[in-house]
Amino acid sequence: MELPPLLEAKFNELIGRYPIKRSALIPMMLYAQDHFGFLSDELIEEIARRLDLNVLQVTETLAYYSMLRRKPAGRHHIQVCTNISCMLRGGKELYEHVQKRLGIGNKEVSPSSTFSLEEVECIGACTGAPAMQVNYDFYENLDPDKLDVILEQLQEGKKPKPVPVTSGALHERLPAEMPVISKRFGVSNSRSLSVYLQHEGYQALEKALKQMTPDQIIEEVKKSNLRGRGGAGFPAGMKWSFVPRDSAKPKYILANGDESEPGTCKDRPLLEMDPHQLLEGMTIAGRAVDAHRGFVYIRGEYRYVLEIVEAAIVEARAAGYLGNNILGSGFDFDIVAHTGAGAYECGEESALMESLEGKRGYPRIRPPFPAVVGLYGSPTVINNVETLSTVPAVIRMGGEAYANLGTPKNGGTRLYSISGHVNRPGIYELPLGFPLRRLIEEVAGGVRGGKKLKAVIPGGSSCPMLSADEIDIAMDYDSVAKAGSMLGSGGTVVLDEDTCMVDVARRIMHFYAHESCGWCIPCREGTAWLRKMLDRFHDGGGRAEDIPLIDELAKNMLGRTFCPLGDAAALPTISIVKKWRNEFEDHLQGKCAYRPAEVIAGGH
Amino acid sequence: MTDDKQIAFTINGQQVTTTPGTLVIEAAKRQGIEIPSFCYYPGLSLQAACRMCLVEVEKMPKLQTACTLVATDGMVVKTDTPGVHKARKDMLEFVLTNHPLDCPVCDKGGECELQDMTFRYGLDKSRFVEEKLHSPEEKWSPLVYYDAPRCILCFRCVRVCDEGMDVKALGVGARGVHSVILPNHSGQLACEECGMCIDICPVGALTSGTYRYQTRPWEMTYVSNPCAHCSDGCKTTLSVRNNEILRANNRDRSGINGEFLCAKGRFGFDFTANPERVRQPLVRRNGKLDPASWEDALEEVSRRLRQAHETHGPAALGVIGSNRTTNEENYLLNRFARAVLGTNNIDHHRTADYAGLAAALGPGARDSLATMADIYSAGAVLLVGNDVTNQNPLVAWQIRAAVRHHGARLYVLNGRPSKIHRQAKIVAEVSEGAERQALRWLVSEQGQFDSKTTEALVRLKAGLESESGVVVLFGADITGSAIRDLVSLAARFSGKAKFMALGDYANSRGASDMGLLPDRLPGYAPLSDTAERARFSKLWGAEIPAAPGLTARVMLEAAVAGKLKALYVVGANPVKTFGVADAGRIAGLDLLVVQDLFLTETAARADVVLPAASSYEKDGTLTNTAGEVQMTHRAMDPQGPRSDFDLIRILSHQLGMLGLGTPIRLRTPEAAFEEIRRHVAGYDLSMADLLAGGSEVAVATCRIHEPGYEPPAGEVFSSRDYLFTSGTLGRYCSKLISTEEAKEKPWSSSPSTQSWWQR
Repeated sequence: MELPPLLEAKFNELIGRYPIKRSALIPMMLYAQDHFGFLSDELIEEIARRLDLNVLQVTETLAYYSMLRRKPAGRHHIQVCTNISCMLRGGKELYEHVQKRLGIGNKEVSPSSTFSLEEVECIGACTGAPAMQVNYDFYENLDPDKLDVILEQLQEGKKPKPVPVTSGALHERLPAEMPVISKRFGVSNSRSLSVYLQHEGYQALEKALKQMTPDQIIEEVKKSNLRGRGGAGFPAGMKWSFVPRDSAKPKYILANGDESEPGTCKDRPLLEMDPHQLLEGMTIAGRAVDAHRGFVYIRGEYRYVLEIVEAAIVEARAAGYLGNNILGSGFDFDIVAHTGAGAYECGEESALMESLEGKRGYPRIRPPFPAVVGLYGSPTVINNVETLSTVPAVIRMGGEAYANLGTPKNGGTRLYSISGHVNRPGIYELPLGFPLRRLIEEVAGGVRGGKKLKAVIPGGSSCPMLSADEIDIAMDYDSVAKAGSMLGSGGTVVLDEDTCMVDVARRIMHFYAHESCGWCIPCREGTAWLRKMLDRFHDGGGRAEDIPLIDELAKNMLGRTFCPLGDAAALPTISIVKKWRNEFEDHLQGKCAYRPAEVIAGGH
Repeated sequence: MTDDKQIAFTINGQQVTTTPGTLVIEAAKRQGIEIPSFCYYPGLSLQAACRMCLVEVEKMPKLQTACTLVATDGMVVKTDTPGVHKARKDMLEFVLTNHPLDCPVCDKGGECELQDMTFRYGLDKSRFVEEKLHSPEEKWSPLVYYDAPRCILCFRCVRVCDEGMDVKALGVGARGVHSVILPNHSGQLACEECGMCIDICPVGALTSGTYRYQTRPWEMTYVSNPCAHCSDGCKTTLSVRNNEILRANNRDRSGINGEFLCAKGRFGFDFTANPERVRQPLVRRNGKLDPASWEDALEEVSRRLRQAHETHGPAALGVIGSNRTTNEENYLLNRFARAVLGTNNIDHHRTADYAGLAAALGPGARDSLATMADIYSAGAVLLVGNDVTNQNPLVAWQIRAAVRHHGARLYVLNGRPSKIHRQAKIVAEVSEGAERQALRWLVSEQGQFDSKTTEALVRLKAGLESESGVVVLFGADITGSAIRDLVSLAARFSGKAKFMALGDYANSRGASDMGLLPDRLPGYAPLSDTAERARFSKLWGAEIPAAPGLTARVMLEAAVAGKLKALYVVGANPVKTFGVADAGRIAGLDLLVVQDLFLTETAARADVVLPAASSYEKDGTLTNTAGEVQMTHRAMDPQGPRSDFDLIRILSHQLGMLGLGTPIRLRTPEAAFEEIRRHVAGYDLSMADLLAGGSEVAVATCRIHEPGYEPPAGEVFSSRDYLFTSGTLGRYCSKLISTEEAKEKPWSSSPSTQSWWQR
């Protein structure tokens, strides 16, 4: 089929970008959808033909990703987040408001095709909750009045101004903060190479290339006690050291920017305000393990971020910080930025690799681990965006100095995105081991409206909840684990005394059921069952025997699923039933004793 | 203690010694310990998706999937603990939540893995009170239906279609609990319609268009027979109820084909019940074929044969045999022609030059014939000609498995496209029909090719020279001297080369082995071999003439020209096969007798038609193209028709009474097979395996090398059947030809006519 020239050029460029053509599939589908509004049979056939795939291979992949459509959406696709952080700040009411105002339901299109509506899962604007996206633009800190203005402007053909950067990332620095990787946040035009260079940019790369051997780089990262910022907290230096020195196959560096854990929005500002920091970190990692190619995998919803990262890559390449013979060292390294298309599961490292290879984001069997058999079957280092963004600082200041910023075994600083019922939701860089109580009360300004604290999600919605009397702990991997939860992704969500914990359990399960890839039985069926049961329970249809059953079903998933998504769904549920069982019992009286009950429209 | 190559570990307290790399689930199975699983399937890629095989392993905090867990030295595995039992119960409870539990109306009921697992390991109650997901059943093709609610998403079907078949017609749609299996062509299947997905489905999600809602599995009897169609000899288990075949499959993997069956083996059984089946004898009276009694029809045949013999002599009589009748029947027919009628005018449609291979290998053939298993275990395979994907589906399956499972290298020399080329390391494409010249070039560098072809041939040769022990497969275009070229080419490679000639039909090789050839006796002895001729003359009680008879094609020409007066055609359709132009009766014949299932183009011209039983309706043995002999059994009563064995035998008796020849006193196929075992070179087989349903390799060998052997020109050719045709028989397989794919003829003229899913 004949394509418009720009799309034609984009397709050709995408196909040439990757070691295998199929990797271009998801980006091609996204760009095609951007142009035509949806993916028609004809487009699917065209894309299949260009990638030497069969139509089924394209259809299968398409069907997996929630952002890809087989039917047209409205010109303005309104996507309202109702996940935990937004829900706590009126996301649900906002969604209902849009429904009423536009007169359309979930995934429906207005008669004039001006608008379409979708209730979406966490979009990574937790510190700007409640938030929505219109097409790819973010609008945050909304209320019904602000929303009406936006809809009116769109109706009139005007484009309301989206948020310039992630809300909550820019604020006055508090004394408790320790900006290392976020120190350029707020510097004018911080994403440009020239500003980056004025602020210590690429000094670490120069040092790594000219003064250090690859082994020394790994050693330094080991000394820094830098642990994975994606959630699992695996020591980065150790991960790098698993990559075989000699490999017949090329090696890859992969930055995991599929930030989708509800409550988490710290990679987004790192990518939008400091992309060069990440590129520098990746290049150093490449040098350390002798890789020559890197990929940044960004979640599909962060489309504008892709453009920022791509611009940074072009700039870095032009200035010799990427490409061949970097800084005259003889070392070659280049980076491709890539996006997914709506799938939480693709944040799981092996599923991310499948996705980057243009397939459904199913996780892979391990062993072999990515360090040995990863992307394209090659040895691969995969780290979170924040982890890799930390590498330049580690090299610049030295591993030991960096480690000393934190606590033993928990080196350095990390970003916390604190959201929910606090006075100052925001993204703060704090040393590892910072007390949780101070994070809530001092950094985030305490619980909003003088309410009492009920619960805290320490690091994203997959963590077991902490109750108000469990917050006197240090925020480091080991201390939070000792308290029965996880430091996770740093997405701290604060829940006040009025919050209905049954509703929270219900909303969290909705997310995991929506995001379960469907590969393994316990997660696929368990999350769906629990979702239905929690819906019924919260709606007043609960039975006494449901309470232990919810707990048991969650435990029946726990530790038995293919990947950690099952655990992620089970752990918060188990903790809620355990700690707030009384609220479940209250619901048996037929009504929600807390906030008014809300029903998720349209199911998945 | 273990030696270097073994590791020792413990399952449920039992010490197990095994080779490194063994999966715990396999090691346990060998130990007699069942670890349940849905998604694990030997031979297909690992999934770890169903989580049924969770086991406890000492020093590992979480339960482990035995299907991906490699046993290591000293590992301690437990499958019989409360934790493991609970995990199995829990998984089954989960998988049943959205399952419709419509077992009473499900085809799979009674042989369903989910039922069995639930019975053995599951809960006795359901705690799921929410609404189940539902979606309507989908018809993907006349042969394959999908019921999504029953699907447990084990992905076996997707994998067997992709990895096993290399068709890739199945995928997964949606996500999470809404995941479904998707066919490749807008809700329809465009594929080889092999039905492997149906057989491999552990539940009733994929059902067969021929079998669904027909019966319950326990109402049927099961008979395992070699497939009636191509020459690969797959075993297909016929499920029979009330004298009707309702299903054919191969879930017990007992044959040489393991679990494999193509569309013909799985769906091509309904010819037995085709309404066009001839069920009583027909005799031409006043120019019209009228029903007649067996007595009248057989009397008519014997009387008129005797008459023709008397009037015109034995040289005016001819016999054309079948590629589908059993070895016993072919042997009997040979004896009938040579010893009763006294003529060497006997032949059949030769679809591969088995005689040429026997002549080229000579007495050394015994260990030089490749079996189907040899293809699978081969390090390298050389394929010359044919589109095995379409013509020999089991051969293609074995090649794919060899490449996939142990990295075998496939080398191809071909003038036609074939999907199997996707598996090849090197394909030397030549122009159609130029394979012989290319072989000549490979042996002697004689002949001229364009530079591209020459370069491909050089690469092919170099590739082959790096191999040790090549299995060589070749099609009908490679005959006589070309086979000798191939044998001498293979002799230059290191290691033992083994050969397989690829013919068309279920007993193509058996027909040749049993000597349905005008110039050979059973076991490929040429008539000029006086000792052999004397031996068979003595055995059959009549002097076999020394002069070779007419070939099939020449017999037909002679019949048209009035030189041949009586022709007895058994299970063949020479009018179609050899293209007899004469539209009416074959002009010069006084008598045409046809023994067949249907009123074929030849039968329609006959004076007498004797309705015959198919190989699913009689006992005997069949020899596949590799020389593997298997027993076929009477799965049902043919209801009218008689076996060719009986008919030939009865005719010999009737002729004997009329004073022609000695009656054949072999009363049963078993007795005939005894004679074959004793007297046909290469058929001295052990009965033990055969009786147990296995196969034995017959190596019908020439006693001598025949350096100059060439088959008569134009007598060896393939019908070029493909996945949905099977010579004349295929036309009567209604289900098989009801598919859309059956309408497309692959490689009929140019590569572009190959079906898109096979390109």
